[in-house]
Amino acid sequence: MKFLGLLTVLITGFLLIQAERDFPDWGDVNSPASSYKLSQHYITQTFAETSVPNMVTAVLADYRGYDTMFETVVIFTAGIAIIGILRVFGSNIKPDHPEVVLTKKKPDLIVETTCRLLIPIIQLFALYVVAHGHHSPGGGFQGGVIFGASFILLALARDLQYAQQWVPENRILNLAGIGIFIYAGFGVASLLLGGNFLDYGVLTAIIPGDVKDAHSHSMLGVEIGVAFTVTAIMFSIYSSLSSNGHMKEGI
Amino acid sequence: MTEQAPILILLFPFLTAIFVALLGAKVPAASWPLTIASLGASICATLTTLIQVLENGTIRYYVGGWAPPFGIELRIDGLNALVAVTVATVAFLGAIYSKDRVESETENKGPQYYALYLLLAAGLLGIVITGDAFNLYVLLEIAALTSYALLAMGNKRATLAAFKYLIMGTIGASFYLLGVGYLYIKTGSLNMVDIQEQLIANGLQDSSTVQVAFIMITVGLWVKMAFFPLHAWLPNSYAFGPTTSSSIMAPLVTKVMIYVMVRMVLTVFGPVYAFEVLDWGNIVVWLAVIAILAGSIGALAQKDLRKMLTFLIIAEVGYMVGGVWLVDETGMTGAIYHIISDAFMTLCVFLFAGIVFAKTGARDIYAVDGLFKKMPITMIGFIVGAFSLIGIPPTAGFFSKWYLIQGGINSGNWEYVIALLISSLVNAVLFFRIIEIAYFGKKPAEGHIHHHGDDHTKISEAPITQLIPLLGTAAIILLIGIFNKDLVAVIQDFLEPFNLVAGIR
Repeated sequence: MKFLGLLTVLITGFLLIQAERDFPDWGDVNSPASSYKLSQHYITQTFAETSVPNMVTAVLADYRGYDTMFETVVIFTAGIAIIGILRVFGSNIKPDHPEVVLTKKKPDLIVETTCRLLIPIIQLFALYVVAHGHHSPGGGFQGGVIFGASFILLALARDLQYAQQWVPENRILNLAGIGIFIYAGFGVASLLLGGNFLDYGVLTAIIPGDVKDAHSHSMLGVEIGVAFTVTAIMFSIYSSLSSNGHMKEGI
Repeated sequence: MTEQAPILILLFPFLTAIFVALLGAKVPAASWPLTIASLGASICATLTTLIQVLENGTIRYYVGGWAPPFGIELRIDGLNALVAVTVATVAFLGAIYSKDRVESETENKGPQYYALYLLLAAGLLGIVITGDAFNLYVLLEIAALTSYALLAMGNKRATLAAFKYLIMGTIGASFYLLGVGYLYIKTGSLNMVDIQEQLIANGLQDSSTVQVAFIMITVGLWVKMAFFPLHAWLPNSYAFGPTTSSSIMAPLVTKVMIYVMVRMVLTVFGPVYAFEVLDWGNIVVWLAVIAILAGSIGALAQKDLRKMLTFLIIAEVGYMVGGVWLVDETGMTGAIYHIISDAFMTLCVFLFAGIVFAKTGARDIYAVDGLFKKMPITMIGFIVGAFSLIGIPPTAGFFSKWYLIQGGINSGNWEYVIALLISSLVNAVLFFRIIEIAYFGKKPAEGHIHHHGDDHTKISEAPITQLIPLLGTAAIILLIGIFNKDLVAVIQDFLEPFNLVAGIR
């Protein structure tokens, strides 16, 4: 078996080197990926078509918004999958190993104060990252992860149940679903207004401004949707994994 | 709204999945009706699309209103319209079957199960209808993630098997993604049709990067479709997962991957490149022969009913991969036809295995002992599926095998023809053994004693939600067989522009 593994690795490595032989040079302006009309269009037309200065955001949330919607669904699926596999419903099912009984101590002063200071700043920064995706690197995925991290910090500093007082399990799942509904909602709205799915241009009927503004605003909208889902699923995955699916005592 | 039908195919199951996941905590009972309704609506959308394709030719739907290659397009021609109808129908029938079984097999996680089930259906439908190589990867991720979870929701053994599947599946998907990445480096495009145009326009026929891309994509898909010897993940994960999960995954996941392979060969690289420039000769056909024989021998060795069927899937994958690489129009017709008929016959026998398991709780083939008396209607459904796998007319399996064999003869690949015939004989042995046990009982001597005094055996059929999908599938297998001419006409219309003359090499 070990020999077969080595052989596979060697063959794969040989193939990768073979593939590399015909690559364009590093940073080559004339490489197909930079010179083909696809990149040219994105570079020259993005602002005219969508009035979004950050073309990465425009490609991600508009030109290829269909992909991004499903990337969000991948994250949602991961959350549901972990609940499906790990979660133990009801109290009568015994855990595999004896439950750790934590003695309720008064939380540590230093930890408590640090969290109190940090969490609002983390959350504010997350919102900034989401909102600023149009102009700088950022957007729903990054902002969502940062926002989710603030809840995880809360759960780590105190315990899972304390964090769940603020964000209970069913509410967190609702949040995740709402995020996808926001994203798909822009698509369905454009369907109903007579355009193709996710054709933000036809949304001028309900979004103020011209076609460019409709694109720009819709992109902000879908980024917010992504942020909702990512935030919720981050925390959901953490709570399922850290408590073996019992949602009681976490780490 | 008919011009929006392509996107609706996928939107119905996708949005309902999210809805089911949210509603599940409060109203778990609503999950099943919602699942059925959305998949039913999806079937309507696929049929509308198929009719449109037959009337007006290829549909190109620009998602987001951006023309390709700038945006993503859904591109539906005769091939994927047929596969989409198949996927939606199989998912619908499998969902009906899930109703009674899902609670007991997944530890009261019905809503999560249905949400993942619908997402899997949406992912597979998305893979089938898309015209964008990268979009295909994104949906592949959804289909793969949901598959792992659906299988792992069963018992402990299933979880371990699903973990192995996760490792293998991820490697396969990474190979595919790497291949798409290489294509992008050399062409600057991700749209399937556009990639082929760029490959020809830039004279990239001899580029080693493109060759490696082709190898990476093909091998990645082979891992995903469990083509021997990359099949090791399949038998245990399908045999030990919940019967409800394997009743959608066994028919669909491998077949959709074969569809993707056909699509890559024909639409992305083009048959000239795949078969002439990169002349792999008979290697792939020989690999397919080995796969067919290995699958058949593996099946003969099994006593566990579902595990036996999983080895048959491996043999069937060999049929189709071989059929594609016969480089013959009839062979390709047979491979595509077989995607459709195999989806339904695999569903049929897996539903039967599920029903037997539900009724008796036993996994081995002797569980079917005396079932002709107890469950005559179920057995009729099973016999249609079994006959189709053996290849007895007028079932679908006979006609698809007919075209495959014809293709093998046309292209002079006799080893493939012989392997196919041996495998059909093995299938006959396997299924007639089951039919014999079901009819005469476990041991001939014992059966003889009971022969006269068997009146106490009462008929106790499977519940109606398990019978309807089984009989529905059986009926579809017969219909596909009887209307084989129309189906083949659609497939050949699709294949005509590719000019796959016999003996292209």
